[in-house]
Amino acid sequence: MALIHLTIVTPQGKPFDADAQRVLVRTTGGDVSILPKHIDYAAALGKGEARVTEADGSVRRAEIEGGILHVASDQVQVITHHFKWTDDAQN
Amino acid sequence: MAGASMKDIKLRIRSVESTMQITKAMQLVASSKLRGARARMEASRPYMKVARTAVWDIALHNTGAQSDYVIPREIKRRCYIVIAGDRGLAGSYNANMFKRIEWDSRDANCCVIPIGRKARDFYARKGVPIVTEIEKVEGLTLETCTEIAREVMARYDDGTYDEIVLAYTSFVSVLTQKTKLKPLLPLDAHDAPERTNRQMLCEPGADKLLRQFLPEYLAGLIYSAACDSFASEQAARRVAMDSATKNAGEMIEDLSLRYNRARQSSITQELTEIVAGAEH
Repeated sequence: MALIHLTIVTPQGKPFDADAQRVLVRTTGGDVSILPKHIDYAAALGKGEARVTEADGSVRRAEIEGGILHVASDQVQVITHHFKWTDDAQN
Repeated sequence: MAGASMKDIKLRIRSVESTMQITKAMQLVASSKLRGARARMEASRPYMKVARTAVWDIALHNTGAQSDYVIPREIKRRCYIVIAGDRGLAGSYNANMFKRIEWDSRDANCCVIPIGRKARDFYARKGVPIVTEIEKVEGLTLETCTEIAREVMARYDDGTYDEIVLAYTSFVSVLTQKTKLKPLLPLDAHDAPERTNRQMLCEPGADKLLRQFLPEYLAGLIYSAACDSFASEQAARRVAMDSATKNAGEMIEDLSLRYNRARQSSITQELTEIVAGAEH
C-alpha cells in the first residue's frame, strides 16, 4: 500500500518522522486530510486537532497551533511552533 | 628581608589559588551548560532545514511576479539583530561579534536589536540606535523570538528598514566558533534551492501564505541562532577558563619554587650566622 512520509518539526525537536497512511490537520480554510499521491500543496495551519494514521493503522492525536503544511511528492511536512501529542498512550 | 619576601610570595600563592578555584568552577559550569545547549541546538536543526525548503517553495512558486520578500531593495537603512553573550570571560566570543558587525556596517546607516546583556551594553555605550533589547540569551523563548520577528517584519513592510540581518555565532566544535551574518529579509538567496517549475497548490494563495508564515519562520531562525550562539558562548568560556586554570597552575608551581628557594636561603643564612657566632 502506498504511504506518505510524514515529518513533523518544531524548533524544539522532531516529534514525528516516519511513514504514515494519512494525516489530517486543521488549516485556516478547514480540515484537510492528506493521502498518498496528493498534489504538491502548501497551506497555513490554524489551531486545532491533528490526526496521524500510522503505517500500522493506529491513530494518534495531537494539538497544533499555527505553522504550515507542506506536501511535495508524498513528503508531507508539518512545520509549527506548537505541537503536542494529546493521547496518553505514547509520550 | 628574606622573611618579608617569603610572606609576599605566600600571599601571592594564596590569591592565585583562589582565582584558580573561580576559573575552575566557571569551567565546570560552562561544561554542563554546554551539554544542554548543544542538545537544544541539535534539536532545532531539522526545523530549519525543513522550514527553509518550504518557505522557498512557496516564495518561488509565484511564477511571474516574485514575492516582495525575495527581491533585494536598495539599502538605505539596515537593522542588525545581534546575538552576543550575557556575560564576559568567554575569550574573544563577544569581541569577535562586535568587530565583525562594525566592519560589515561601516558604510550603512544602521540600528540594532541586541540580544544578550553584553550586546546591549556595547551598543548603548557606542550610541548606536537600539530598536528593542532582549536582556538574556539564556532561556530565550520562542514567544520572544516571535515578537522580534513580527516587529522587524512590520518595519520591513513599511520601509523603515531595507534589510534585516541576523548576527550570531555558529558552533562548529568546542574549539571553533564562527561569527555569521545571515540576511533574514529579504530572504537569503544563498538558501534558495534550484528553481523548479513544479505545480503547487497554495492555500490561501502563495503571497498570503508567505506573509502569514514568515514571522514564524523568522522566529524559528532567531531561536535556532540563539541556541547556536549560546552553545558557542559556553564552549568559548569553557576553553578560556580551561587555559586560565592551567596558567594559574603554572603560576602556583613557579611561585612555590620561589617560595622554597627563599625559605632555603633564609635557613642557610641563619645557619651561617650561628656558625659564625660559635667560632668566636
